[in-house]
Amino acid sequence: MTPGSASRVAARVAGAVFVLWAVATITFFALRLIPGDPALAVLGGPGSQASPEALEQVRQQYGLDQPLAVQYAAMLGRLLSGDLGQSYALKVPVADLLGAQLPGTVLLALAALAVAWLLALALALVSTGAGRVAASLASSIELTSAALPHFWLATALIALFSTALGWFPPVSTGDLGGLVLPVLTLAVPLAGFLAAVMREGMLDALAQPFALSARARGESAIGVSLRHTIRHAAIPAVALSGWALGTLLSGAVVVETIFARPGLGRTLLQAVTARDVPVVTGVVLVVAVVYVLMTLLSDLVSALVDPRRQAVAA
Amino acid sequence: MPALPSRAARRALLPLAASAVLLLAACSAATGDATGTTGTAASGTPVSGGTLVYASGDAEPDCLDPHVGGNYPQALIAGQYLESLVSIDDNGRIIPWLADSWEMAEDGLTWEFTLRDDVRFSDGTPLTAADVKATVEHVQDPATGSSTGYLALGKVAGVEAVSDTVARFTMTAPDSALLESLSQPWLAIESAAGIARGLDENCQAPIGTGPFAVDGWVKQDHVALVRNDNYSSPPADAAHEGPAYLEAIDWRFLPDSASRYAALQAGQVQVIDNAQPDTLAAAASAGTFTEIDAPRPGASNRLELNSGQAPFDDALVREAFIRAVDVNDGIDSLFFGTAERSYSALSSVEPLGYSDESLFGTDLKKANALLDEAGWSEKDANGIRVKDGQRLSLAFPVSTNQSIPAEQSLFEQVQATAAEAGFEVVITPLDLSSWYGALFTNDYDVVSAPYTKVGPDVLRILYHSDSITPAPSGYFANLAQLSDPELDSLLAQAASSLDADERQTLYTAAQKRILGSFTVLPLYDQQNHFLLSPTLHGARAIGTVSTPSFYDAWLSE
Repeated sequence: MTPGSASRVAARVAGAVFVLWAVATITFFALRLIPGDPALAVLGGPGSQASPEALEQVRQQYGLDQPLAVQYAAMLGRLLSGDLGQSYALKVPVADLLGAQLPGTVLLALAALAVAWLLALALALVSTGAGRVAASLASSIELTSAALPHFWLATALIALFSTALGWFPPVSTGDLGGLVLPVLTLAVPLAGFLAAVMREGMLDALAQPFALSARARGESAIGVSLRHTIRHAAIPAVALSGWALGTLLSGAVVVETIFARPGLGRTLLQAVTARDVPVVTGVVLVVAVVYVLMTLLSDLVSALVDPRRQAVAA
Repeated sequence: MPALPSRAARRALLPLAASAVLLLAACSAATGDATGTTGTAASGTPVSGGTLVYASGDAEPDCLDPHVGGNYPQALIAGQYLESLVSIDDNGRIIPWLADSWEMAEDGLTWEFTLRDDVRFSDGTPLTAADVKATVEHVQDPATGSSTGYLALGKVAGVEAVSDTVARFTMTAPDSALLESLSQPWLAIESAAGIARGLDENCQAPIGTGPFAVDGWVKQDHVALVRNDNYSSPPADAAHEGPAYLEAIDWRFLPDSASRYAALQAGQVQVIDNAQPDTLAAAASAGTFTEIDAPRPGASNRLELNSGQAPFDDALVREAFIRAVDVNDGIDSLFFGTAERSYSALSSVEPLGYSDESLFGTDLKKANALLDEAGWSEKDANGIRVKDGQRLSLAFPVSTNQSIPAEQSLFEQVQATAAEAGFEVVITPLDLSSWYGALFTNDYDVVSAPYTKVGPDVLRILYHSDSITPAPSGYFANLAQLSDPELDSLLAQAASSLDADERQTLYTAAQKRILGSFTVLPLYDQQNHFLLSPTLHGARAIGTVSTPSFYDAWLSE
């Protein structure tokens, strides 16, 4: 490793640590600035009346009677030692809670990303070089699906594939069939985005001299696409995938709620509603870590796919 | 005005007919039926076995022990594994449950409950008076963090286990609501050994005497309940004896209303709760499912007008608001006939509820005249009334956790109709914590706050002037800020009156004063609708806080 690349790595790591600190800080203060007593949130479900003794108990138990700066410092200290703290509402360590919920959401997000890639690639391959009508049709499909809100799509898919056709269960119960509709809900809008950038990349590549010379060597149009231009399509899509995983995690809030899937998104929603600061902070940190890692990963993959970047990096 | 007829039979089970019109017909038919059988028409002989899948739209409890905190989602599930000393039948009468009999001393300061001697907890240990003592002490211990149960035991000084089967309650003052309080799931009897395990473990799986026991809890997914084969303590109004028919209940949390109904249609689940008006209308036209309509006891859903500050410190302005808003059209169009307008501060299942429709008729002309009389005679450019440079503006914070979408739309109708008389109603949707915050800082003029409790003593909590004084937490229950010495005295007398007739007279007088103060605009009962698959038989809502019981329930193919 050259000294140059070492300092680049150090800068990346420092940047990542800064992002995590900023995320934790913003989450902490945002939740505290909303009016309302977190101790009441801990005790007060609809219709339940917290007694003063119970509230006092909760405040002491969670250090809510301390000044805000002290609470903030305590939280940072805990985070630095790798302790995500204890959930106010569920009274279990946040790390255990997230550990249990993470796999479900990761499976959902990765499956959605994979399906979105397949759908986008298929659409891009079929529509490029198939004429102007196909191109404009593809473009409107992309725009429409990219604009579909998750909650609407989820409800529509349930109405069609569960209630009307009976093919897939409307709520997830752990089997693979239950994964289909949630994955489609997340994949379709994302596929719209990905297909748009892929198609553009392919069209650019097809207009390059190398595509023409490949055709001149006698390669078929499909052959050119599969062997050469697909790389060009993949480069922007790979770069987008880090961002895409971030949107999938936020989409998980809606999808996990509608399909009643356990996972990080539903945990986050419940924790925000219950003003469960440690859990919200924990989920947001996990998402930030995933985001940072995915961005690094997509940079790496871009370099692999794109020989020009390898030359620069070396 | 006559008192409400006993409408405990409103906790009725409605076969969903092919149209909404028939639904209404069935509803009124069921209202007249007071035979007390609320079970699904037992078609055929009950079959043992099978797993019932229940889909709850309520928030997932943080703790499965309803002593901790004490809210309705906890009551819903705890009813499957915990039982109380007494229950309430469909006519609102107290009936024996874990206690065979009870006796109150003449001065009302001690009560002796004699327990059944053949009851075992799901872990096999026998139920004794020591468990009753442990339960009360657990609820009264501040470390438990009990709210609902704690308040209900306000007059209980302590419990002594006189023998294995006799528990003696010592009171600080006579309490006419003690039996009603003890029937609530927030005071259900838990095993002393279970409680001794500590809060965290007890939250995961409280040990009770119920027909089912907690077998596991996967957070945000489901609670697994299995049949308690030791079961021997059905309440006096159950349909059979011995263990439950169902082998297990898979209690799932499905927060989205549309997917809950889709899951019921797909046969993934056999019961859904929190069925919304649009779902009920769809189910009525499908004709496949059975509905349980079980309004919650305690207070009705109502708007409270904050009489503690301007402009509602003026009774004329309060009456003007109540005369101006048109609630009935909104309820008709937004609830599809699934909710009936209430004119009482109490739920229609409360036998002592008193109702007076004449106070709540919409009359825009009268509203305008009242506002003119109160000095709000000028209007600004937007048609909002003005007095001494102040606009007639009302803050209305709405809890999005507690008000269903149909109710939030109804509040917009209230806003629109009040505007016709020159009120500006500012609706602010808030999450639960911010909503509490708005109430504590007195930042409200209109508010809707549900309160579930068994019996008319809820009126003391909601309308006695003591409840205006905020606790150190800022919490106060008298959101109307009604301060009326005569009402206070009526409520205090009623709470300690040990004579049933006198109690009824006092509560009727108290309700007349409350409704006549124009601080309360009743809307409807706290809605509580369940939809059942046609394969499920024998399910019912029990008469305490209208939670479902699956003890008599069985599944057919």
